[in-house]
Amino acid sequence: MSSVLVVGAGPTGLAAARGLAKLGIKTILLEKDSELGGNPIKNHYHTLIPRKLKPSQVLGPYIREVQESKNVTLYLNTELVSCEGEVGNFKVGLSNGKTETVGAIVVATGFEHFDPKRKGELGYGLYPDVITNLELERMFSQEGKLYRPSNKQLPKRVAFVFCVGSRDRQLGVTNVHCCRYGCALSGLQGSEIREHYPDVDVFCYYMDVRTYGTWEYPFYWAPQEEYGVRYVRGRIAEITYSPADGRLRVKHEDTIVQRPAEVPMDLVVLVLGMEPSEGTKKVAKILGLKQDKDSRFLVPSDESGSNIVSNKEGIFIAGACKGPIDIESCLSEGEAAALEAAAVINTKVGV
Amino acid sequence: MAIHERSLVEQERILRKERLVVDGVDVSGDWNLIILPRVIEDYDLDFAKEVAESPDGKTITQCYQCSYCTASCPVHNYWDDRYNPRHFIYLARLGMVDELQKRADVIWRCVSCHKCTHRCPKGVLVEEVLKVILRAMAKRGLIEEYPSKKFDKFFTESVLEYGRIEDGELLLGWVEKQGYKLFKDPILKKPVPLIGDAPLWLKQLMLKPIKSMNVGFLMLNAKHMLFHPRTKNWNKFKQVLRKAMEEEGALK
Ligand code: SF4
Ligand code: SF4
Ligand code: SF4
Repeated sequence: MSSVLVVGAGPTGLAAARGLAKLGIKTILLEKDSELGGNPIKNHYHTLIPRKLKPSQVLGPYIREVQESKNVTLYLNTELVSCEGEVGNFKVGLSNGKTETVGAIVVATGFEHFDPKRKGELGYGLYPDVITNLELERMFSQEGKLYRPSNKQLPKRVAFVFCVGSRDRQLGVTNVHCCRYGCALSGLQGSEIREHYPDVDVFCYYMDVRTYGTWEYPFYWAPQEEYGVRYVRGRIAEITYSPADGRLRVKHEDTIVQRPAEVPMDLVVLVLGMEPSEGTKKVAKILGLKQDKDSRFLVPSDESGSNIVSNKEGIFIAGACKGPIDIESCLSEGEAAALEAAAVINTKVGV
Repeated sequence: MAIHERSLVEQERILRKERLVVDGVDVSGDWNLIILPRVIEDYDLDFAKEVAESPDGKTITQCYQCSYCTASCPVHNYWDDRYNPRHFIYLARLGMVDELQKRADVIWRCVSCHKCTHRCPKGVLVEEVLKVILRAMAKRGLIEEYPSKKFDKFFTESVLEYGRIEDGELLLGWVEKQGYKLFKDPILKKPVPLIGDAPLWLKQLMLKPIKSMNVGFLMLNAKHMLFHPRTKNWNKFKQVLRKAMEEEGALK
């Protein structure tokens, strides 16, 4: 029986591999890092939106099933380097020197967090109290406390700076998209701060608050109404430091009041955008997949109604390699890709 | 030093000094004039908290600035666009007190129609919240006792006195309190607003029912003005009510 190659073992790849294994299909799962789980595990996310579960709660069962399944062959620290052939008979070369033959391929190579050093005016790397939302997640999950890196003290005020590396033509045409998760995660992180440290004032600086669908209440209304997170309209254009009081200043125009503002803050959290990962760009080249000309995210084939089907027959694209997406949708897309791949290699699915 | 385009700079931001020393350097002469920046340097969160933590002000946190309220507000729509309930909420919530103060001349103009509160998609009790903002401002001396509050007192006094209000007397009494001199008939000493120094709008208002010959309405009003009706047994009740209201601090 023909087997399936799954590239990437983040949420999407795990869901695809688990689905295929359950259908009794031999699956090769590639992961360039040394552990399974992708960004949420590697970067120690604290709480996942929208169900507010821990990464171990959501991904733990997937990781266990994949590790225990006799149908999955797992290659860690391994990348795809070449591919020849066509649907039903792809010959794929791997960085560990092996060559495998597979009937279909699922691409689940994901995204990368934006590097905030590229927005120099925001002072990341220059001022220790300017951190990323990833670092805040790590503070919560690894250290279990909130503090200013400069003096280890509890900040009196925390500012969230929305849309860093998103919706920004200044970075080139590559970052015009919205990260989709940033507003919601900030609402959640802000609520967590207010819940544990009610004396800390939290400010979210936004252009729009994009907490779509059912996220509106838990990640926008509740932070304001139940936790007292404050929302200020204006995009932070610069972050400076005042030696006189040792605090940061967030410079912006309050677009509702229509006045410039330079408000003191103790900790500033940059809400990072999403970009296609290096892996996604590499794999797109190797497999000849269509990419969005601006963002370089993968795009599905116009021939098919399904957004899982790529421009190459037998190759399926799922999850954050196509653009910003939440983790639960990644899991669903991984499962959908498993189904498509199973159908392609014409496996009879037993009940 | 001259300021070009002076009209663009608000008067209160222009600082002119005969002698000026900055960081120990005498800059009198050419540099005796400073334009203060427009920058917001901080929020007054104590003010914001005072509003948000008062029982009537709690719902201020729910506002998401959609402006359904302002679009519905008759005062904003027909009177002055500087009266903007949505904007007041935003300013109060961040403690932008100087911005609120700039609007001290209009912020009390709410006519309590409650359209805002009934329509707000977020369940903000807009009218109540605005009153809390007013109270917080008055407490800090940021706003003088606003005319609407004075009117409320006048209204309350009228009700306390008679157990009811009488439209004509209330209106004319209030007009007099605003400093207008009304002609009074020599016998009953009742104001006759159709002649004398009464403001034009009042004369026009009084002429309306006469023009439309609404005789019943005219007679009723005239009768009420001459023989002020009282609620039955009001005198007894009034004392109890006044005492209770004083104890509650409601007459302040
Ligand atoms: S989700 Fe929010 S923070 Fe992220 S880019 Fe969109 S608007 Fe900005
Ligand atoms: S209608 Fe309600 S939510 Fe909308 S601006 Fe007014 S108070 Fe805020
Ligand atoms: S209650 Fe006041 S603020 Fe609200 S709509 Fe009426 S006049 Fe405007």
